[in-house]
Amino acid sequence: MKNRIFSILCQNAPGVMMRITRVFTRRQINIDSITVGIEPSGLARIILMFKADDKHTELLRHILLKLEPIEAVEVIEPEDSVVREVALIKTNPLPPDQHWRIVEQIERAGGKIIDSREGAIIAEISGEHDQIERLLRSLGPEVLREVARSGQVYISREF
Amino acid sequence: MAEMTGAKAVWECLKAEGVKHVFGIPGGAIISTYDALYGETEITHILTRHEQAAAHAADGYARASGRPGVCMTTSGPGATNLVTGILNAYMDSSPVIAISGQVSTTAIGTDAFQEADMLSLMLPITKHNFIVHRIEELPEVFRMAFAIATTGRPGPVHIDLPKDVQLSKAELEIPAKVEYRKPLKLDPTPSEVTRAVELLVHARQPVIYAGGGVIWSGASPELIELAELLQAPVTTSLLGKGAIPEDHPLALGMLGMHGRMVANLAVTECDLLFAVGVRFSDRATGDVHHFAPRAKVVHIDIDAAEIGKNVRVDHAIVADAKRALRAIIEALKQHLRKGRTSEWLERVNSLRRNLAPRMDYDDVPIKPQRAIKEIMEVAGPDAIITTEVGQCQMWAAHFYRVRRPRHFISSGGLGTMGFGFPAAIGAKVACPDHPVIDIAGDGSFLMNSQELATAVENDIPVVVCIFNNSYLGMVKQWQDLFFGKRRSQTYLGKTPDFAKLAQAYGAWGDRASKPSEIGPKLREAMESGKPAVLDIVVDPDEHVLPMVPAGGRLDEPILT
Ligand SMILES: Cc1ncc(C[n+]2csc(CCOP(=O)(O)OP(=O)(O)O)c2C)c(N)n1
Ligand SMILES: [Mg+2]
Repeated sequence: MKNRIFSILCQNAPGVMMRITRVFTRRQINIDSITVGIEPSGLARIILMFKADDKHTELLRHILLKLEPIEAVEVIEPEDSVVREVALIKTNPLPPDQHWRIVEQIERAGGKIIDSREGAIIAEISGEHDQIERLLRSLGPEVLREVARSGQVYISREF
Repeated sequence: MAEMTGAKAVWECLKAEGVKHVFGIPGGAIISTYDALYGETEITHILTRHEQAAAHAADGYARASGRPGVCMTTSGPGATNLVTGILNAYMDSSPVIAISGQVSTTAIGTDAFQEADMLSLMLPITKHNFIVHRIEELPEVFRMAFAIATTGRPGPVHIDLPKDVQLSKAELEIPAKVEYRKPLKLDPTPSEVTRAVELLVHARQPVIYAGGGVIWSGASPELIELAELLQAPVTTSLLGKGAIPEDHPLALGMLGMHGRMVANLAVTECDLLFAVGVRFSDRATGDVHHFAPRAKVVHIDIDAAEIGKNVRVDHAIVADAKRALRAIIEALKQHLRKGRTSEWLERVNSLRRNLAPRMDYDDVPIKPQRAIKEIMEVAGPDAIITTEVGQCQMWAAHFYRVRRPRHFISSGGLGTMGFGFPAAIGAKVACPDHPVIDIAGDGSFLMNSQELATAVENDIPVVVCIFNNSYLGMVKQWQDLFFGKRRSQTYLGKTPDFAKLAQAYGAWGDRASKPSEIGPKLREAMESGKPAVLDIVVDPDEHVLPMVPAGGRLDEPILT
């Protein structure tokens, strides 16, 4: 099934997320990624990624639009939008020769070293989902101790 | 602006919305609001004996009057007792405002005495729900609650009211100056109308299918005008009963599992299904793949989320039913060539003649069909009929010819046993000049029979006609038809003597065992001026037939 993205503009108040997520839960649709930011207007923008067929996507959109705190539901086409994700990574303590190799590898992938202590590294990488996936795979579980990921944020390319 | 407590503000807000009646039961977390009711003259509070009944009564009040019904409870068990009633109102799009007390804001989340997380419990079963955190928000919350409940597709709204908010004081302006801003498409676009008219003028075998949305939008006159203009037969959903007088020559009766055969066959044969204010419930459509198989489907509904949800739609109009029908009628008037449907009407009328259901049985025990006939004759066109759930409900839905909108009140989406009697109480409070009759089952009546006390104490003379078959009859029917007659746990055995039960409460009570007794005794019950129970002993082995099995095709019913 196709990846779907909703960009939801809604009131920034307690319980709104519960109202939204239960619409998906009830229909046994898994939310793959969810991010929330506050717009300059004070409204919240929630970006949701899930998989569903056309019929369900349309139904979900209409049901969400009926929720009182929701102002707008935009369907974003992944192809027509700018997508970014951030990952923060922490490595295990590494012996000096490996340490430098890993630093180089992270920087070559577009990442940035934020902190380093006793051979362990904290770094940040932002970019497209696949780009981050590739770096994480190449570092592997031997090196990585912890990964925190933001989920994907999208903005349409339309002005 | 005036300084007042939250408790006082509740009643001021309700009065500002035009509320005259509230159904409820007090308790610790709502006691100060009830204190502020003491001496209030503009609002009548009806003390029910169970909160579920308060919710159903508010629902019945709303459905009979078209105005929102209000119920009130304490926190915890009082509030959770509302749940079935509120979901019932939600499923059937009925504007109910439910208010319950809550523990103080400082105690919320501490598992305080009689604390229930009503915000979470009510969330999926209301159109919207609120908790009032500060007294300053109270007028706005009430204003919005009524707006939400009554705008667009109606539905219930719950307000959770913490104890400290009721006690605190503030300068308040009531009604609050807030506007409900949710965008709503009420009018059809010109191109939507043109396309609908094109489909209608090309149809040779049209059927109009009307639901509760027609009744809520007050579109019955337009529905009838359209049907007559097109000479198209009209079927309805359960909740659409009364949208067209069921003795109108174009009315086919109800569609679906227990619908009229003529309606089910007409929908199966039609080339255009013109659906207004319906949601294509599985109980109405049967197998959706064989539903109206030859037809183009037009669907008018105010709720965009209903379009294409259950059946494929060829032309959708998201709009208010009344406005959409009006626009279509005006456009049609320019177009129509007369008499295009005469062959179709002949076909439908011959089906109707051949499949007319029989009601004139003289048997003892009484056949339920005959009981409906007797009730219909005595009750007259003004009577508001409510129903419980089960065979009793389907006898009423299938056979009772409802003449007016808002005169048939039944639990459709949820199928809630115990709904009919408190709903009748609510309907009678809303419409005191109309006779109100609950067509009940013995099982269903026992689920809220304690409300006899409410009816007697508050002098609300509704009549309950119990179709007493000593069974949970509809479940028994399924067991007989689909489970090899293994009647597991459906025999009610020695049900109470309902006439004596009624009398014990101070109500009128009697029993009818022969068909000829029903009419005179019902008349006596209605003329008693008291709440009344007529215990009609009916044939326990009678099935509601024809019946389309769940998921079956409308043209393949079980006949015997
Ligand atoms: C609250 C509730 N519990 C259970 C059911 C399942 N149910 C549907 S019809 C029915 C039997 C109703 O019996 P009665 O009220 O005597 O009506 P009858 O079918 O005998 O006419 C039952 C148990 C229900 N619809 N609602
Ligand atoms: Mg029964």
